[in-house]
Amino acid sequence: MGDERLDLPQGTLDLLILRTLAPGPLHGWAISERIQQVSREMLQVPQGSLYPALHRLERRGWISPQWGVSDNNRKAKYYALTRKGEKRLAAETHSWRKLIGAVGLILDMD
Amino acid sequence: MLNDLRYRLRALFRRNTIEQELDAELRFHLDGQRDKYVASGMTPSEAARRVRLDFGSTDAIKEECRDARGVGVIDEMVRNLRYARRTLAKRPGFTVVATVTLALGIGASSAVFSALNAVALRPLPFPDANQLLVISQYEAGAAQPATFVAPARLEDWQRMASAFQGLSGYYLDDMTETSGEFPERILRAWVAPRFFEVCGVAPSIGRTFTRDEERFGGAPAAIVSDRLWKRRFAADVTAVGRTLRIGGRSVAIVGVMPATFAFPNGDVDVWSVSAPDAPYAQNRQATWFTVIGRLHPNVTADHGLSDLARVQRDLGRQYPATDGKLAIRVTPLKAATVGGVTRSLWMLFAAVSLLLLVACTNIAALLLARNAERQHEIAIRYSLGASRAAVVRQLLTEAVVLALVGSALGLGIAIVALQAFRALGAGLPRMTEVRLDWTLVVYSLGCAAVSVIVFGLFPSMQTARSHEGVSNRRAETMATNRLQWTLVGIQVALSVTLLFGAGLFLRSFDQLMRVSPGFDAGRVVTFRITGSWSETVDMAALKRRMLTTLETLRATPGVAAAATAVAVPGVAFQFNTELRIVEAPTEASTKVTARNRFVSSGYFDALAIPMLSGTQCADDAPVQTAVINRAFEALYLPGRNASGSHVQDIASGRIGTIVGVSGDAREQGLNEPPAPTIYWCASAPNPMPVFLVRTQSNDPATMTETIRRTIRQIEPGRAVYELRPLAERLDDTLAENRLRTILLTSFAFTAVLLAAVGLYGTLSYIVSIRRREIGLRIAMGALRSTTLVLFLKQGIGVTIAGCVGGLWLSAAAGKGLSGMLYGVTALDPSTFAIVLGVMIAIGALASVWPAARAARVDPIQVLREE
Repeated sequence: MGDERLDLPQGTLDLLILRTLAPGPLHGWAISERIQQVSREMLQVPQGSLYPALHRLERRGWISPQWGVSDNNRKAKYYALTRKGEKRLAAETHSWRKLIGAVGLILDMD
Repeated sequence: MLNDLRYRLRALFRRNTIEQELDAELRFHLDGQRDKYVASGMTPSEAARRVRLDFGSTDAIKEECRDARGVGVIDEMVRNLRYARRTLAKRPGFTVVATVTLALGIGASSAVFSALNAVALRPLPFPDANQLLVISQYEAGAAQPATFVAPARLEDWQRMASAFQGLSGYYLDDMTETSGEFPERILRAWVAPRFFEVCGVAPSIGRTFTRDEERFGGAPAAIVSDRLWKRRFAADVTAVGRTLRIGGRSVAIVGVMPATFAFPNGDVDVWSVSAPDAPYAQNRQATWFTVIGRLHPNVTADHGLSDLARVQRDLGRQYPATDGKLAIRVTPLKAATVGGVTRSLWMLFAAVSLLLLVACTNIAALLLARNAERQHEIAIRYSLGASRAAVVRQLLTEAVVLALVGSALGLGIAIVALQAFRALGAGLPRMTEVRLDWTLVVYSLGCAAVSVIVFGLFPSMQTARSHEGVSNRRAETMATNRLQWTLVGIQVALSVTLLFGAGLFLRSFDQLMRVSPGFDAGRVVTFRITGSWSETVDMAALKRRMLTTLETLRATPGVAAAATAVAVPGVAFQFNTELRIVEAPTEASTKVTARNRFVSSGYFDALAIPMLSGTQCADDAPVQTAVINRAFEALYLPGRNASGSHVQDIASGRIGTIVGVSGDAREQGLNEPPAPTIYWCASAPNPMPVFLVRTQSNDPATMTETIRRTIRQIEPGRAVYELRPLAERLDDTLAENRLRTILLTSFAFTAVLLAAVGLYGTLSYIVSIRRREIGLRIAMGALRSTTLVLFLKQGIGVTIAGCVGGLWLSAAAGKGLSGMLYGVTALDPSTFAIVLGVMIAIGALASVWPAARAARVDPIQVLREE
């Protein structure tokens, strides 16, 4: 833990949230846990920015909220990816891959 | 976009629910995290502390969520509005001045816009009104203007023209209706077949004429106006099917037109068919109809004209004697209806827009000064982290509040002004259509929006800019001052322009009032007696009737003279004729054209037009006689004895003996110099001539009842109408002129007042911020008089600069006025001089107060304030 952790580059949080929601609806806490877990604890979602980001994505119509019951039997707000959100995710993934590839080329030059 | 809007609306109106949801969502997260820490072995209290550390302030996150949702913008707006209300309330003087200024500007301009819209912009109240044309025939090369159209020719046009959906025509006739208690004069429009189809308007009750009713000998049918229906039948639907008794004949009512239908004019009571297949309508020289046509969709007026011209050329070959020389002219119905008023309205609209601009500029200058006083407050906002956009938004909110209140008040002013407009312009076309509608509201809101941009955005940006980064206070103050002075200069320039225009109109009106008309309208009463064109079949009887009426009138106590004429003198009546002077040497090739008037005996006495030589018209002349005016004699019969000469009217072939020469009278209107005129002597020129009665009393209105009673005694079956003093009718002809003069003058005075307030306000502000400097100067020994002159010079300097700009603008604007002026040129130098004098005097007056305040600054007190 600790030193291995990375700060999220600007603008990637939206992409991560969308990708995390791709398999199915999750609530906010689960989203942050899943990101942390899948990235092998290297990425930690800044707790303070997760909810504003979720609300922003909701406003843009990329994710839609619904109230459901969690594993421990509590009411929780689940977010699901919308059609618009799926398209957005595809587009963002594509451009992110291109960016990584391009940055990689520069770093590997000579 | 839609999603976004729905989201924001939910955010706005379901605020509590959303807040609760947000709360629950965050709590769920915190609990989840805490449980996780507890599961990893922390004590519950340690876990709770850790969670709070991880998460930070929930309030801050909530705030960010609200921002993300877009709720923040609305919150900020509400806050700004509340703040604007407080700051505006704190300075009631400024707020009242600004709102009233804006309300005046928006109110006046909305009212003028509304009139412009109703008269000039809105189509006539017919479906697809732009397809409607007025079609007239005229003799190519003749001096005579357009004449009416023969029914037979109209039917030919209808049959042969391809560009039109239909052509129809009408003429107006006064009738006496006798089915009621008293004989009533009604105005009947005789219409050709297809009239309502061409207009495109159907009766609101009943039907239009059947094909059978449109043929000669068909059942007499009438369609009545909404007005007559309400007046005579109390809006009873069973009126359709009842009968009227018009001119002694029973006519069945088959329909009632809607109230909005006012064609050919709003006074028409009854529409009836004039059958084109009547035997008496077959003469191709009969002149009856004013023709209207409806073009096919997407056909231009030019195409319609060339189509009809082709048809008329064919007819010319077929009937060379009657149709050979005729040419066609078309005018869009709207232009024919509205005519020249459009120009006056556009002029007024331009003027009132300038006024609105002056008002906005004025408020902009006031706001700049006020914002400058708030520098301290704005600086604090910046230092607390407000963005420039936020500061602009906050300052702009104030402007928006002012604009909204101003436009609401302005709407009220516009409603009142519209009433005044309608009263002043009562004689003008389509004035009854000027009314309050949604376009007025939209327009005044539009004005408010534009004024916010002019007076709000601009000062807000200026104020906000001056605080960004490292500020140089002195440079900023200078920049703000320069801007303010520029705004004042603009106000002065625009005011000078308006004042100059008003000056020209006032002088023009004054010149018009000084004109000697050549006749005396003062003691004359005019009226008509109902008659019918059918009376012209027995001209001798008609002449007997006229003479009896005239003799009875002349025998009435209080009457000095009585006469008939075809038209009211002093009211424009276009009728030129081409003449030949029988005794003129054959080689004389001058074309003789003159205004044609038909008058009875006593005409020159009734109007007090002096006879220069010869005699007046007589009732019992055995041959056709005529009187000419001095202009005619001077132009066509110079140095010859006019009396005894003979003239021939070329169109009709009528020959008349000249029996006398009268003085020149401005019978075409005060603004028209007397033209060569021939007065044909005719006691019964038509069945409903204008009667002119000269009374012995100075107030001719007192004679109206006597006249009505006298006529009723001898003509119980006829109605007297249009009974009014001649002076009143002449006054009506000035309606448009008076309307624009009064309005432009009031706009100009308002603008000058605003400019004076602007100058005063700006100079006062500058004196107040330079108080310390002035105090120091005086303490150092500057003379108070020098201080006074310093500021006075500044105020007057800006006024003069504004005047120079205004002169330039006036010269440009003057060109647009040239056709509307009488007796002054559009660049009248004395008007220029007076306007400049007035403006500079007002500028000096507005500056002297603040300048004197500067001179009275007490250095001791200023230094103590430090």
